[in-house]
Amino acid sequence: MITVLFFGPVAERVGASRLEVEFHSGMRLQDVQAHLQPRYPEAFALVTLAAVNGEHVRDRSLPLADNSEVVFMSKFSGG
Amino acid sequence: MQDPVRIQREDFSPDEEIRALLAGSKRIGGIATFLGCARDFSEGREVSEISFDAYEPMAVAEMQKLRSEAIERFGLIDARIVHRLGVVRAGDSIVFIATGAEHRAPALQACQWIIDELKERVPIWKKEITPQGDCWVTPHP
Repeated sequence: MITVLFFGPVAERVGASRLEVEFHSGMRLQDVQAHLQPRYPEAFALVTLAAVNGEHVRDRSLPLADNSEVVFMSKFSGG
Repeated sequence: MQDPVRIQREDFSPDEEIRALLAGSKRIGGIATFLGCARDFSEGREVSEISFDAYEPMAVAEMQKLRSEAIERFGLIDARIVHRLGVVRAGDSIVFIATGAEHRAPALQACQWIIDELKERVPIWKKEITPQGDCWVTPHP
C-alpha cells in the first residue's frame, strides 16, 4: 500500500489529508499521480512539488517500494 | 537547552534563542537575527489570524539541512531556526532565525540566506483568516 499525504491548500481541495493507493510491482510516482489526478483535478492544479519518504523528488518516474509515503504539494508559504 | 532547530505550536523567546547561541561559544563576534511576524493586513484585507500547516518530519529535516548548509557555506559558529505552527494571531511571532559568526558580514548574509531558502524549501503553508473568509497564501518573491 502507498500512503499519500496532502497538506494545506491541496488537502483542502482533496477533502482529506491522507489516502491510500494499492501498490503494484513496478509502480512509479507518476502512476500514483495518474491514479489520483483525474479524481482531484482542482487539487492537482496546485501541485508543483512531490516528495517520497520525506525527500524532494523531481523525477516523477521514480520507482516506488511498497509502503512508501508520497506527498503531493503546492508551493510553500512558510516564514 | 532546547534543540537549535524546532517547529512548535507555542510562542518562542528571541532572547532565549540568542542566549543559547551565545552560550555555545565565546568566539562569536556578531549575531544576526530575523523575526517574522503576523501582519494584520494582506492585499488590502484585514487579517485576524494566520493558520500554519506543515509536513512536519520533512520540514524539520529541511530546516536542519538549512542550518548545516549555512554553517558550512558562511563559516558560522552556530545558527538557530524556530518556526511556529497552528494558529498565530496578528502581531504574534512566526519564525525566528539567529546566526552567530566571528564577524558581522557572514552572520548577516547567512541570516538572509536561511529565511530565503526556508521559504523555498521547507514544506509549510499559511492560511490567512480574515472577516471575508480564509485564504491560502500564494508565495511572494
